[in-house]
Parts: sequence; C-alpha cells; structure tokens
Amino acid sequence: MPSFSDFLSDAGIAARNLIDLFSGRTLRLGVTGLAGAGKTIFVIALVQHLTLAARLAALGEKNSLPVFRVHAEGRLTGGRLEPQPDDAVPRFAYERHLDALTGPQGRGEDRAWPPSTKRISELRLALEFERTASLGRNGAALSIDIVDYPGEWLLDLTLLDKSYRRWSEESLAAAEARAPLGGEWRDYVQSLDANAPADEDAAQRAAALFKSYLQACRAVPLAASALPPGRFLTPGDLEGSPLLTFSPLKLEADARPNSLAAAMERRYEAYRAHVVRPFFRDHFARLDRQIVLVDVLAALNAGPLALRDLERTLGDVLDAFRTGKNSILSSLLRPRIDKILFAATKADHLNHVSHDRLEAILRRLTARAIARAENLGASIDVVALAAVRATREANVGRGGALLPAVIGMPIQGERIGDETFDGETEVAIFPGQLPDDPDAVFTGDWTADPREAEYRFVRFRPPIAARDAAGTPLPLPHIRLDRALQFLLGDRLR
Amino acid sequence: MPSKPKLKPQVFHLERSEGAPRRAAFTIESVADFVEMEAASVATVDPTERAVEAAQRRGIVKNALVSWGGLFFSAAGGFILVVVGNWLAGLIGGLFARSPVLGLAALVLGGLAIFALVVLAAREIFGILRQSKIARLHMDFATARAADDRDAARRLVAELAALQQKRGKSARVLELTREIIDGRDLIDIAERELILPLDREVRREIAGAAKRVSMVTAISPRALIDVAFVAAQALLLIRRIAEIYGGRPGFFGFLKLMRSVGAHLAVTGGVAVGDSLLQQVLGHGIAAKISARLGEGVLNGLLTARVGLSAMAVCRPMPFVVGPPPAIGDVAPFLFRSEKKT
Repeated sequence: MPSFSDFLSDAGIAARNLIDLFSGRTLRLGVTGLAGAGKTIFVIALVQHLTLAARLAALGEKNSLPVFRVHAEGRLTGGRLEPQPDDAVPRFAYERHLDALTGPQGRGEDRAWPPSTKRISELRLALEFERTASLGRNGAALSIDIVDYPGEWLLDLTLLDKSYRRWSEESLAAAEARAPLGGEWRDYVQSLDANAPADEDAAQRAAALFKSYLQACRAVPLAASALPPGRFLTPGDLEGSPLLTFSPLKLEADARPNSLAAAMERRYEAYRAHVVRPFFRDHFARLDRQIVLVDVLAALNAGPLALRDLERTLGDVLDAFRTGKNSILSSLLRPRIDKILFAATKADHLNHVSHDRLEAILRRLTARAIARAENLGASIDVVALAAVRATREANVGRGGALLPAVIGMPIQGERIGDETFDGETEVAIFPGQLPDDPDAVFTGDWTADPREAEYRFVRFRPPIAARDAAGTPLPLPHIRLDRALQFLLGDRLR
Repeated sequence: MPSKPKLKPQVFHLERSEGAPRRAAFTIESVADFVEMEAASVATVDPTERAVEAAQRRGIVKNALVSWGGLFFSAAGGFILVVVGNWLAGLIGGLFARSPVLGLAALVLGGLAIFALVVLAAREIFGILRQSKIARLHMDFATARAADDRDAARRLVAELAALQQKRGKSARVLELTREIIDGRDLIDIAERELILPLDREVRREIAGAAKRVSMVTAISPRALIDVAFVAAQALLLIRRIAEIYGGRPGFFGFLKLMRSVGAHLAVTGGVAVGDSLLQQVLGHGIAAKISARLGEGVLNGLLTARVGLSAMAVCRPMPFVVGPPPAIGDVAPFLFRSEKKT
C-alpha cells in the first residue's frame, strides 16, 4: 500500500535523477555480486586499465583493450580519479587494494588477492575522449561513478514490496524446503506464541537462531545461496541494534498491540525504513548500468545443489531490478538501468576452449532473469571474463590424448584429488571438461564425494605485475574485460 | 554415439621435485595465446571506416524532416497543395458547368495524374528507406564484426542476401549462415561472395566514367560543354553505383546520397593528400606540358574517379574488410599510365 512517505521518497529519487541528468555527463555503474565473486578485483582492473590506457598508448605499448572501441580507435585521451560526488559513502580503497594485489611496497612475492569487502563503496573515474559523430575533433568527458556493493543487499530490495506477514510466511516455507538446515530455529519459532506480550529475551533468541540459520545457508556446500535480510550476515555497525533483532514468526490472524508479533513487525518495518529504503533511494535507484559478477566455478565445484541454489538466488536478485516499477511517479521519471551484464568471473581457471560452455551455463542460470529483463526494457548480456588473468594456457600431451590445460600457481591449501598445493610451485592443471549441455551440470547429486567430480577448479595466486621505470604497476592481463567495458560503457563514449 | 571415457581433473608438475611421486610421462605443448589471437583479429577501426560512417550519418541516414528547413518545405508544400487543390476544384466545377463530358474527362485525367503522383511518391519513399537501410547495414556489419557477434551476423547476412535477391548466389550464402558458427568468418564470407563481384562492376563503371570524362574534356571545343558533361557523368555514376549495390534512389533519395558523397569527399580529401594529390599535381603538370587540354582531361578524369570512389564507400552495404578499399590508381590506372607513355 503506497503511503505518503513512499510517495515522498519516490519524489526524492525523481528529483535526484533530474539533477543527475542535467548536471553534466555522468554515468553510474553498479558493480555487484555475492561475496567472493570478484567485485574488488573487477573494479581495480577497470580503474587501472582506464586510467593508464591513454598514457600507455602514447608510449606505444600494445593495446590491451582491443574490443573497447573508444580506445581501439585512439579516441581515449585521458582518465583519472576524481573526488566522488557522494560524501557520505566510503571511497573505494583503490590504492590500498592495488597495493595488496601487486605486493605491498613493491614486494611482488607478497602479492595476494585483496580481502573481500562487506560494504558499499564508490569511486569516480573521469574519462576524456573524442567524439566520432562530428567531423572535426572535439573533446568530451564522461564521469563514471563506480558503485561497488554486496549482492546480498539486492535481495533486501525484494522486502520493499512485502509486508511482515507475507515475508514471515515465505521465509518459513523456504526454510521448510531447506531442512535439515535451521531446524533448531524453526522449532523455537513454532514454540513461540506470537500474541504473547513482547519479550526481549525471546526476540533476541529467535533473531540469533535465525541468523545462524542464514549463516548455515551460506556455508559449504551450499555456498551460493543467500537469503534476505542481507544485513544479518554483514551487520557492520548495526550489530546488536533492534533493527537486526527480529525473525519471522508463525502469525495468528491479527496481531494484538504490544504483542511479540507487533514488536517484531515494528522492527521489520524499521529495517525496511532505515536500511533497505535508503540503499534503494541513494544508490540502487540511481544506477545506469549494472554488472553482476557470478562465481559460477565455485558453484560448479560445490555441485548441482549449489548451482540450483545459485539459480534461485540470481532470480531473486533480478526481482530486485523490478522494485518500484509499479509506482506511476517513479516509472515516469526514472531513466533507469538500461544495460545489465552477467559475468562469470575467474574464466582464467579453465582453458578458453571451455569458455563457451561456461557462458552457456551462466546463460542457463540467468535464463529466468533474462526473460524478465525484456519487459524492463534493459538489454542483458552474458560473458565469461577474468578481470585479472592469473594463468596461461598450454596443451598437455599424455598417452596420445591432448588435454587443454592452464598453467599457474595455485593458492596454498587448494587441492585436486589427493594432491594439496603449497602455493609456491607452478603447475599445469587440466580442470576437467564442462559438459556440452548446460542442463547436465544441474542434474545429479554428487555433493557427497567431491573427488568423483568431473571437474575441479582451483584458485591461483595473482600474476606478478610488470612495473614501469617509476615503479608504478602496469595493468595486469585480463580476459574479455574489454568486451565487458564495451557493452557497459561503449555507447556513451561515441 | 559411444560414450567417451570421462577425463578426470589432473595435475602436471612442471618441475620435478624430489618428494613428488613419479608419474607417467607427459609433454607440455605451448599454444598461441587466445587473448592475443583475438586481439590481432580485431583490426583497429581505421579512419577510412569512420569517415564513411560519418558521411552516411550526414546524408543518407539523416532525418531531414526534423529541421527548420524541413519544416519550411513541408509547410510551404502543404500550402501550395491547398492552393492548387482549390484551383483544381474550381476548374473542374467550371468544366462541368460548360459540359458534363468535358468535366468527366478532366476528372479522369486529374485522377490518373494524382494516382501516378502517389505511386511516384511511394517509390521515392521506398527508395530513401532502402538506401538508409543499406547504410544501416554497413554500420551494423562494422559493429557485428568488431564484436564477433554470431546472432547479429546471421541476421545481417540474411538481410543482405534479401537485398541482393534477384542476383542469385545469395541462396548459397544463406545456407552457410546455418553452418558457419563464427560471426566474423560469416561476415567475411558474405563479403567475398556477395559484395566483391559488385565491387568489380563498380570499378568498371568508375573506370569507364573517368575515361569518358577525360576523353571528352580533351577534345571538346567549348569549356561549357565539358563542365556539363563532367557534372552529368558524375551524377550518372553515383546513381549507377547506388543501383549496383542494391539501392534505388529516387529524386530526394539521390539528394541525400549526394550530401553523403560530398561529406565523404570533404573528409577524405584531406586524408588522401599523401595518396594521390601529389600524383594529381604531378600528372597534371606533365600532361599539361604536353597539352593544356590533355592536362585538363586528366584532372577531370581524376575528379570523376574520386567522386566514384566516395560514392562506392558510402553506398557499399559493408565496410571494406576482405581487401583494402580501392585507391584512385586502382580504378583509373590509365590516367597515370598515359603520362608515362606520352
């Protein structure tokens, strides 16, 4: 039921969008993905390539982004970081992350993947380029605001259209399907009387059990499934506040005032008002382009159950893109996300002969989402990419067969079969073959014994970055980052 | 199909360490890096292609109605139509008053004239749409080729084949769209099969026109005659080239086409300095020493050939990829050869 405050917040969004529209050429690029999908690496690689591309081209280096047209045509004349427009949002710690990736203080042997971030961050990148349309050469500029936020938050957006009652029912039904996970929580919730007077102890306990159930859903082997509310898993500074102390309940017909159900409902509403809606209004509703990074390989490692869970989660994520569609004001004044790219990250973990199959699997995973996006008027594409490429390729001949393999240095503790890697030696790995038919990976159930798997993808250490004379690390190799950039930004750089 | 034995994930140690268990022998065979191969196959979009697209946007694809000039002509045309209609109604009314037979005859004739006018206008619009479709095809082919987009390539090649339907051969290419899976290869094959024969025809036309122009200029008694002849030849040539590539420009479509050719000439005029301006000056100089008329003939021939090349670039439904775009020496070698012979 749209209330007056909903209307006000929609009006606020519309006003901000108008300001964005008239205040110059800007583009907001959302980068998201579930934890561990490679958001940080993607942003680092994007910023590093675009800030250094023009300078490297002037020095006569080989073009590392051949498909990115504005650069391939030699029209990209400069790129630099600028102060971001939103002062209340943390800045993406580009320098620190880049330092970690290339080795702190120039020590290449200490290089490591940066730790995953659990909050929203923003970075403004200003590109200078020349237009194609006019015959004379004239300069133009585009400011790209890169907004990096956890994919779990997207799931929260589906709460905006749900009442507490409906959410409770749906969550309990979903938990039913996931048994035996969260059995303790369900038992406890069933034992509570929703109409009893509010009791803080009961609320605390229900919330704690609910939270551990959500965490269990994130744990192996179902690493891919995520359920709202996202802030239960990454509370940040909201830890312990009443906002995060609620749980679905088994509700009676109508809640009595001052009952446990009423208290829970108030907290749920507060969570929506103080966590979800600000995120929607200040960040999500203002995005122009979105890239959703998906770690398909991790889900493949975990087995068909995890893949099916990932599919469901991605479907829910796409539901978020429909949020607010039904309000007249917002649909009138919102020039919203018009391009969504789904990227299967870490494509360097397998030989390129399998990339098409990886893309087919991702396409299958997002099929539901793509069908919906057609109604939204957004164009959607799917790509297998590696923002930083940590391996090279070779064919391994053995016993008359030629195996397409990758060569790299696996991270310490990764294992294939009976073998554990020490993180110091370079090996050639044949990760197995993905099936021709993408449906095949969704069927079957071999989570019981991962050693029987037909494929196993290990993570590799980052490559050593080349440095120029001044010691600045040069952009690392990548796979199809340029194609992703062309899809996301190309049409605004003509 | 016999089921192949499933290959398990395997590890191959590159360095033989002491502790590692001994394994079956294997060989490592290095392969060309696919990222670099992809990068090499994406030819950088060259300035010639950009010039063509810019020229197409200026003329053929431009929507002329959305401008003050367009508004003026639409409004003025509408006004004149009302005036003429009013006058015609009065005229026919007057004729009916004098004699019904006379009035009926006028009515029938007028109706026929209007019908023919409608058909002409429809053809005109059809011609413009067709020409702009060809220009769009050109741009789409360029982007589809750069992105190696298989689906787009299939669709575009089918459109191209439909455009050339009466010329045969397209059936074979259409069959290939089902077999070849790489978008870029498909586009290249379509260019080779469907467009290169047309290119040869266009080159012959340009050469013929250039030859005629230089000949007539050299022997014509009056300057006015050869100016008129050069202009007429250039216009005919542009029209002929558009037709060869599948367009059917009517009057207004032809005006748009001219604008594109002009824009392309303006852009490439600067680019071509290194290529042929020098030759032009040289050729003109030597030929002019022998005979002033001959020198003018060579110059006019070069001009016509240049117009022809611009028209070729703008009308072609695909960018030049398989081979380089023809230079002026390719289509009119006799203009350069003549100076050596004489």
